Amino acid sequence: MKLTGTYRLAAPPARVFAALVDPDVLQRCIEGAERLVRTADDQYDVHLRLGIGTVKGAYVGTVRLTDQQPPDRFTLHVEGKGAPGFVRGSARIQLTAAGAGTVAICDADGQVGGVVSAVGSRLLDATARMLMDRFFERLGAEVR
Amino acid sequence: MSTIVKEKVGYVGRAMKRVEDPRLLKGLATYVDDLRLPGMLHAVVVRSPHAHARVRRVDGAAARALAGVAGVFSGADLNAHCGTVPCAASMPDLKAPKHTVLASDRVYFVGHPVAVVVAATPYAAVDAAEAVQVEYEPLPVVVDAEKALEKGSPLTHPDLGTNVAFTWHLAGGDIDAAFKNADRVVRQRMYHQRLTPMAIEPRGCVASFDRGSGTLTLWTSTQIPHLVRTLLPGMIGIAENKLRVVAPEVGGGFGSKLNLYVEEAICSYLAMRLGAPVKWIERRRENAAATIHGRDQIGDYEVAVSNDGTILGLRNRTIADLGSYLQLLTPAIPTLTGLVLTGSYKIPAVRMDVIGVYTHKMAADAYRGAGRPEATYLIERLMDLVAGETGQDPIELRRRHFPKPQEFPFPTATGLTYDSGDYDAALRKAMELARWDELVGRREARRRDGGLFGIGVSTYVEICGMGPSKAMMAGGWEWGCVRIEMSAKVTVITGATPHGQGQETSFAQIAADRLGVPIDDIVVLHGDTSIAHYGRDTYGSRATAVGGGALVMCIDRVVDKAKRLAAHLLGARPEQVEFQEGRFSLKGGAGRDLGWTDLAAEAYVAKNLPAGFEPGLEASAFFEPENFTFPFGTHICAVDLDRETGKVTIVKYVAVDDCGNQMNPLLIEGQLQGGIAQSIGQALFERTVYDENGQLLTGEFTDYALPRAEDIPEYAMGATVTPTTANPLGVKGVGEAGTIGATPAIANAVIDALRPLGVKHLDMPLTPEKIWRAINRR
Amino acid sequence: MFAAPFDYARPKTLDEALSLLSKHGDEARLLAGGHSLIPAMKLRLAQPRLVVDIGRLDGLRQIEARDGRLAIGAMVTHAEIAASRTLADLCPLLVEVASAIGDLQVRNKGTIGGSLVHADPAGDWPAAILALDAEIEIAGPQGRRTVTAGAFFTGILETAVKPGEILCEIRVTAAAASAYVKTEQKASGFALCGVAAVVDATARRVRVGITGVAPVPYRAAAVERALEGQALAEGSLAAAAGQAAAGVTPLADIHASADYRAHLARVNTARALQRAASR
Ligand SMILES: Cc1cc2nc3c(=O)[nH]c(=O)nc-3n(C[C@H](O)[C@H](O)[C@H](O)COP(=O)(O)OP(=O)(O)OC[C@H]3O[C@@H](n4cnc5c(N)ncnc54)[C@H](O)[C@@H]3O)c2cc1C
Repeated sequence: MKLTGTYRLAAPPARVFAALVDPDVLQRCIEGAERLVRTADDQYDVHLRLGIGTVKGAYVGTVRLTDQQPPDRFTLHVEGKGAPGFVRGSARIQLTAAGAGTVAICDADGQVGGVVSAVGSRLLDATARMLMDRFFERLGAEVR
Repeated sequence: MSTIVKEKVGYVGRAMKRVEDPRLLKGLATYVDDLRLPGMLHAVVVRSPHAHARVRRVDGAAARALAGVAGVFSGADLNAHCGTVPCAASMPDLKAPKHTVLASDRVYFVGHPVAVVVAATPYAAVDAAEAVQVEYEPLPVVVDAEKALEKGSPLTHPDLGTNVAFTWHLAGGDIDAAFKNADRVVRQRMYHQRLTPMAIEPRGCVASFDRGSGTLTLWTSTQIPHLVRTLLPGMIGIAENKLRVVAPEVGGGFGSKLNLYVEEAICSYLAMRLGAPVKWIERRRENAAATIHGRDQIGDYEVAVSNDGTILGLRNRTIADLGSYLQLLTPAIPTLTGLVLTGSYKIPAVRMDVIGVYTHKMAADAYRGAGRPEATYLIERLMDLVAGETGQDPIELRRRHFPKPQEFPFPTATGLTYDSGDYDAALRKAMELARWDELVGRREARRRDGGLFGIGVSTYVEICGMGPSKAMMAGGWEWGCVRIEMSAKVTVITGATPHGQGQETSFAQIAADRLGVPIDDIVVLHGDTSIAHYGRDTYGSRATAVGGGALVMCIDRVVDKAKRLAAHLLGARPEQVEFQEGRFSLKGGAGRDLGWTDLAAEAYVAKNLPAGFEPGLEASAFFEPENFTFPFGTHICAVDLDRETGKVTIVKYVAVDDCGNQMNPLLIEGQLQGGIAQSIGQALFERTVYDENGQLLTGEFTDYALPRAEDIPEYAMGATVTPTTANPLGVKGVGEAGTIGATPAIANAVIDALRPLGVKHLDMPLTPEKIWRAINRR
Repeated sequence: MFAAPFDYARPKTLDEALSLLSKHGDEARLLAGGHSLIPAMKLRLAQPRLVVDIGRLDGLRQIEARDGRLAIGAMVTHAEIAASRTLADLCPLLVEVASAIGDLQVRNKGTIGGSLVHADPAGDWPAAILALDAEIEIAGPQGRRTVTAGAFFTGILETAVKPGEILCEIRVTAAAASAYVKTEQKASGFALCGVAAVVDATARRVRVGITGVAPVPYRAAAVERALEGQALAEGSLAAAAGQAAAGVTPLADIHASADYRAHLARVNTARALQRAASR
C-alpha cells in the first residue's frame, strides 16, 4: 500500500522539523498513539489504539526516526502488532519552504496483516489516507 | 458375467429423488462439528499473519496460564512426532520443501500454522490462541509466479535455492514439422486465475484415542477417509490397522478435501498424547487461507494452422503457480491439463512445457475439474481465436476437427485413448436446444442496434473415472461389498466416499434392479474405514464409474452364490437355475421358485447347504478399470452486455452432456447445474487475490465473490448417451463436467460480444470493469 | 469466530441506555440489529466490555407521517421499511433502498439507525438520507439535538453521533419522484456505487446522494447545481450526471478501481435521475 500526500503548514521547515522529532508532538499527531516511551536515540516504544468507528485494535510496537536531515527530510517508521495482526509502515517526509510556511510531501508505504487485511482490505487505503491527513492536520495545529 | 435385467420396472434411469436429502433438509445429518465426545478438548491453530518470515520465538506462557487451557504446542513440540505432509505426485526433478505440521523456523504463507492451543472449550481455546506471542522477522516475499522465475527474485524457500519446483514436458507427434509447415501461427497468452473452493462446510476433525486397545479414530470432513488411513500412519506412527477414519456427513469438498492436512495429523497426535478427544473446526477465514486453492496457470499458447484452416499442432509453455508447498496432488494438476489439452479435436502434434513454481501463497491442488478446466478453457478459447484469425465459422472449425464416431477408440497426440464419443451429435442437439439460427439472428439484430450480444460455444471432452491403477499414484481400483442380510435386507458398502454426489440413491437403484429387490430394502454404507474396509474414495468423477464397477462385480458374485444354493434347494444343477426379478427358478420349467428371503435364511441358518458351500450371502470385490472414461458435450451460452457498465447478463444457457449410461438423470442434472454455477463464478467474477506482500485479500465471503441464485440463468439441459466400455455400467462420470465444459462457453460468449469492437481475448474473470475497459480501450 | 468476553445489558428506557453509556464510556457499545457489530466482535475487531441492547427501548420502532414529514425510528428494520405502505405512498425512495440491502435475513435484522451510525462507506442508506436531505435526531446526556444529513457523515465509519449518544429518529419530507440505482460489489452485495436521486420538477431542482464511491458518502453538488432551474430533459440530466464524481477522490480496492467507481457514479446518476424524472 503506497500513498503520497502534500500538505501546507503555516510554519517554516525548521519549526515543523523540530515538532516532528519531538516525541510529545508525535504522540499527539499519530492517531491512537497512547504512550511513547523512549528506548534509544530516535526510537520509542508505542502503544497504539488504532481504529475507526466500530472497529478498533490495540497494537504494541515501535516508532523510529531515520535519515534525519534537518530541516529538510527524515523517515518515520511505525511497527506494531496486536490481536488483529500487524501494521508496518514507513513515511518519507520532505519539507520545503514555501513563503512563510512549509510544504510537506509525504511518501508512505505500509503493510497491514492479519484479520484487518483479510476482511477490511477495501477500506485500508482510504483509512490510511484518512490517518495520514489527520496526522498533518494535527501537526498543522501544533506548529501554528 | 453380468446379470440379465428385464427393462420394465427398473429403478435405473429414473430421476429418483435423493434418499440423502430429507436428513440434510431437516437438519438431521451429522457433520463433524455435531460430534460431542466425553472429555473432548478443542484445538485452535495460531497462524502466521506474514507471507514470509523467520519465526524468532513462540511464547505460549500467557496462553497456558489461562483457565481451561490444556496445552500450547509449537513446532518444536510437535514436528518431531508428526512427520511431514505427504505428496503423492512425483516428478523426476521435483524439489520439495520439508512440510512439517507446524512452522519450524520459517513461515511461508499467510495462514501457515505456527502453534496450536488446546483447551476445554472452544471459547477458551480462541482466547488462549490470541494470547500466544509469536515474534516474526519479516522476509522478502514473492507472490507472482512469473516474477518468481526472474533472476534475483526473493526465494519462497531459500534453502531450495530456486523457486522452480519441477519441470514437466509432454510431446506427441512432430511438433516442429507442424510449425514449419504452418501457414500461420495463432498466439495467445492466457491466465487461468487462482480460485478458492469455499465448500459450504469448512474442514474439521475430531480424533479420539482408545488407550485400552491402542486404536485411534479420526472423524474428519474429508473426501478420502481411505487415503487418509493409508497416509496418516506414515506421519504419526500408528499402525494402519489401529486407525479408523470416518468421514461423516461432508458439506462439500470440490477437491479441497482430497487431501491430508496438518490439522488431521495434529489432532490425531494430540489425542494420543493428551489422552482425550481433540476437536478442531476450521473457520471461514482459515478455510480461505489454509485449505488448498485451485487453478493458477499462466502460459503462452501457439497453434499452427494451415491456410485451409486445419490445425496442425499446438504448443505452449505454462507456468503453474503451486503456492508455497506441495499438498497431496499439487504437481499432478498441470499434467492433467496437458493430457486433455487437444480437447475433442484431431490435433496431430502437441508439446507442452510446464514449470511448477513456488510462491508465498497457499498450496494449489485439485479443485473441481483439476487441470481439465484449464485445458478445456485453453483449447476452446484457441478454437475461437483460430476461427477468428482464419475467418472460419467457429462451429464448422470445431466440427472439421472432431474424430468421427467410428474412429473410436481414438488415440490422441497426448497419449490417451478416448473410449467412445459422438461429438457432433451432442453439438447438433445443443444447437437445436439453443435454436441456433434464431439465436444468431438475435445477435445480428442486437448488433445492428448497437448492442453487445455474444454467443459462445464449448465442445469439451474430459478425462475421468480415475482410473487404471497403472496410471494412478496409489491404486485406481475401487472396492465394494454387497451383503444380503439374514432378513433379506440388502447392505451395499462402497469404498468410494460420496459426499453430496448421491450414490446412496444411485447405488441403491443399481442394486435394486440387479437383485430384484425393493429399493427401500437397500442401505448404502460408506465413509467409515471400519465398514468400508478398502476404498480409493471420491475424486476425479470416479465413484460411479469405478465404484459402480465393484458394485456390479459384488452383485454378480452374490447372485452366483445364491444360484448355487437355490440349485441345491431345488434339487438341480446351478446351470439350470434362472434368476429373474429377485426369484430363482428352474429354466423353462414351472414349479417352485425361491426368493431372497428363502435363500438368505438358509444361507445363515446353514443347516441345509450344498457340500463345501460357505455360509452367508455376501461378496466383496475390487474393480480395476481398464481405461479412463471421456465424457463430452456441448455448452452454448449467450450473453448481453451493458455497454455503459460492462455488466454481463446471461440470456441463454444450453448444456448437452454425454456421461454415458445414466443411472439417475436427476443426480446428473444436479451435478451439472452445480458445476455450471461454479463455472459462472470462475468466468465472471471469482478470483483469489493476494497483494504484493502476500496478504490474502479474499479471506471471507465479503471479498470472495461466489455465484448466488440471482446469477444463475435458467438452463436448458439435454443429453446424448454414448456408453463406455471401460466399466460394466457403461457410465462415464459427471461430477466435474459442468465446471469443465461451461467456463469456456461463457468466456467465449463475452468475448464474442466484444468482437465487433476488435477484442480478441480477455482473461477471466470477466468482471464488468474489465469489460468496460475493453469497450473503452482503457 | 467467538467474540471476546463481554457483559450484556438490555435497558428498557432511553434514559437508562444513556446512563449506561455515560457510565461505561468507550467500553460500551449499542447493539441494534447486530449485523455489523456482531461480525466485528466475532472477528475480535471490536471488543466492547459491555453490549447495550436497545432492542427493547420504546419509541424507536415507529414509522409515522406527521404534517407532510415522515419520521422513522432508529430501530426500524430494513424489512419493515421495505414493507411499509406509508412509505411506499409518501417516500418510495426509502422502500426502494431498503429492498436493495443485503438479503432477507440481513433486512430482517439490520436497522436504519444501526446502518447510519455504522456508516459503512458502501452502505445503502447514506445515499437516500443525503438525497432526501434528512434530519437526524440524536439523544445524548445533554438532551436532544438534530443534525442534517449533510453534516452527519464525518469520516470512514464515523458520524456526528458521538460516544455516549443514541440516534433516535430520521425525518424526511415526502418525495414522490425518486429512484435508487445500485451497482453491487459482487461478493458482499454492498454498494460499489449507489445513487439516490430525488427530483422536484416544479421547483426544477434535484438532489443526488452517492454512496460506495468516496470514503464518505456525498451529495453530488455539481450535478445539483447544473440542473438548478433547468427543465429536466433527458439530455440535460445526462450532461449534468457527468459531474457526479467531480471533486471526489474515489475509493479503490480489488473490486473496482477509482476510475471505474467514478464512471459508475456518472452512469448511475444519469440513470437514477432519468428514472426519478419519469416517476
Ligand atoms: C451479509 C450481510 C450483507 C449486508 N449487505 C448490506 C447491503 O447490501 N447494504 C447495506 O447498506 N448494508 C448491508 N449490510 C449491513 C446491514 O445493513 C447492517 O444491518 C447495518 O450496517 C448495521 O445495522 P444494525 O442494525 O445491524 O447495527 P449494529 O450492527 O447493531 O450496530 C452497528 C453500529 O452502530 C451502533 N448503533 C446501532 N444503533 C445505534 C443507535 N440507534 N444509535 C447509536 N449507535 C447505534 C452500534 O453500536 C454499532 O457500533 C449487510 C450485513 C451483512 C451481515
